[in-house]
Amino acid sequence: MKTQYARRLATAAMVSVTTLVPAYAADVDVLLFGMPYTKGLAALEADFEAETGLTANIEVVGQNVFENRITLSFTGKTGDIDVVHTPVIQVQRWVEAGWLQPVTDGVAGMNDKDDILAGPLDAYLVNGDYWALPFFAETGMMSYRKDVLEAAGFDAPPATWEEVLAFAKAAKSDDMAGFAMRAAPGQGFNMFVFPMIMRGYGGKFFADYPTDLTPAINSPETLEALNLYIELINEYGPAGGGNFNFSEIAAASQAGHLAMFVDGTSIVAQSLDPAKSQVLEHMAIAPVPAGPAGRSPTIAVHGLGVPADAPNPEASFKFIEWATSPETLTKIAIANAYPDFTRASVAADAEVLAKYEAINPDFLDLRVQMLNDAIGHYRPLLPQWPEIGASVGEHINAALNGLETPEEALEAAEAEMIEIMAE
Amino acid sequence: MSQVMGVQPVLQRSYRMMLMPAVLAVLIFAVLPLLGMFVLAFTSFDLVKGWDTGFTLKNFVKLTDDKRFIASIWVMLSLSVFGVIAQVAAGTAIAVGLEKIIPRWRFLRGIFVVPFVVPHVAVALVWLSLFTPTLSPINAFFDLFGITVPALLTTRWGAISAIVIADTWASFPFVMLLILAALQGISSDLDEAASIDGASKIQVFWRITLPLLKPALLMVALFRFIETIKHFPLIYVMTNGGPGRATQATNYYAFIQTFQNSKVSYGASIAVFLFIFAAAISFWVARMNARISDA
Repeated sequence: MKTQYARRLATAAMVSVTTLVPAYAADVDVLLFGMPYTKGLAALEADFEAETGLTANIEVVGQNVFENRITLSFTGKTGDIDVVHTPVIQVQRWVEAGWLQPVTDGVAGMNDKDDILAGPLDAYLVNGDYWALPFFAETGMMSYRKDVLEAAGFDAPPATWEEVLAFAKAAKSDDMAGFAMRAAPGQGFNMFVFPMIMRGYGGKFFADYPTDLTPAINSPETLEALNLYIELINEYGPAGGGNFNFSEIAAASQAGHLAMFVDGTSIVAQSLDPAKSQVLEHMAIAPVPAGPAGRSPTIAVHGLGVPADAPNPEASFKFIEWATSPETLTKIAIANAYPDFTRASVAADAEVLAKYEAINPDFLDLRVQMLNDAIGHYRPLLPQWPEIGASVGEHINAALNGLETPEEALEAAEAEMIEIMAE
Repeated sequence: MSQVMGVQPVLQRSYRMMLMPAVLAVLIFAVLPLLGMFVLAFTSFDLVKGWDTGFTLKNFVKLTDDKRFIASIWVMLSLSVFGVIAQVAAGTAIAVGLEKIIPRWRFLRGIFVVPFVVPHVAVALVWLSLFTPTLSPINAFFDLFGITVPALLTTRWGAISAIVIADTWASFPFVMLLILAALQGISSDLDEAASIDGASKIQVFWRITLPLLKPALLMVALFRFIETIKHFPLIYVMTNGGPGRATQATNYYAFIQTFQNSKVSYGASIAVFLFIFAAAISFWVARMNARISDA
């Protein structure tokens, strides 16, 4: 009797497993998280098969689901992912944990390697090896209101952070904020933008990255930058600006209540979106302002890598080469909101040019100019960065909202950096 | 398993079989993960560095010295204490109001339950926009009269209040429903006798209804207290733990250590602390409850 039960149970279990779990017959299983590029890529699955004869299963999930999936797959060494979304901010950590295999040989064998933007590609150079090919490079830009600038008596957009302060002061009124920037704490939130001011004033995270990793954020230069950031947001920012993230900034700009902001290109592009902006005819863009130590636009790079336990690295690399080829990137740039491509030749395509020039004639040129000014280690490329970025970001936010003085915040941030680096 | 009294032995077996799915579900989905949490808390598992399975107490030693952890307990207690007081007060007031004071409006019960079925992430998004001055209709309304409503989410107590308000809005219906059920268990003879003796409605509430509701109030406060310890979506969406670290409750801090900093074992030790804390509170309330019932 008992064995019969067991047998029935086992049969039922097997039937449900085989019917519920779809058969992954594809040669290349790809796991990505949602962005315009990844969604565009998923729509081109059939092109990959037509070109290489290999089948691909491209799965695009939410970012938090993605984190869980790869953590399970990488730590369990299941080998069920052939190509993985690899943000540059994570690559050092993944390499240290042994979760990726290098693609150096594949890169060396490419004959159009020089077409890949050098900055984004080199961001994946760790310990002398390439660990992914970039498909997305976002940088910083300023978006401002021409009419407000003119009314305030300026004839050119602010080129330095000092001029930003002057313009913000002049532009601020009851229903117009002078300036906004991400303030919510997080390595991808306020720490995506604050280093633009910090590095502009000569502040840095470490004494001499990458040779001397002694935390050095508690410096007079960073303090000056932090005080400016606080003054800009608290004195001339929108009400509640101390908790703003990119979505609130984009919304304020689209509604016409914001004279100027500095953020990533994708958010600047939203302020130029004809479908969303109520003040489109007044919108203009400008470079990231410079400080006494120069200009340091933000940079974020995403790419495609091969997990360490992927069973067929050749097929994986074939997919990556196809997915980051000029042809594929061009198709996605035309079909999706994707000005963040990583191949120089895509910008030369007539259809791509026409599409993005219609939004703003200077957008693509300015983007390349900002990418050239950006340093790859804008946010230090270290396995400890996610933890450091979060910790420093919380203190910057605490200083902005008056929970700590700027001096206390930098002192505490440096103390925590020392602790994290010592572990 | 002991025999169920008065049931034929043949039926006994099938009763047990029918119980099996529930027992299995509890074992697999509650007991196993709990054991896993304890195993993790007493070993060293870091996603990046790997798993050292040797027994260690270092996670707990580190907890006693972790300023962020200790600060997070105060945040958690603020959110829980203020949240429970607000929810129990609001839920009880509405339940008693609808049942005793204005019974004509009883049909409103259905409307009051609505916030309870809204997922917390949606609740958080709604309140985030209400508390964002540039998006909020509240601010737009007061602006008409030249009144500037301060931004709650940028100050320590403002952000804590904002989460308490959102949580109260989403959770008072739970209190209301339980108190309504308890009220129905109270005989109306008592009210009538008191009013014949000349007691006002308010006196009836304070002297008769409230004392009789005590066990129900304790239970519902306990439920809500344990739920507020588990605060996550409201914090994640509305404040992201900020300003600074002002709304990083202990549960949220465990999430940061585990998923942001990859320190799985350290995160598990925080979870063990929360488990023991919640169990202790439950035990204490159960004992108090027994004392009230005996009295």
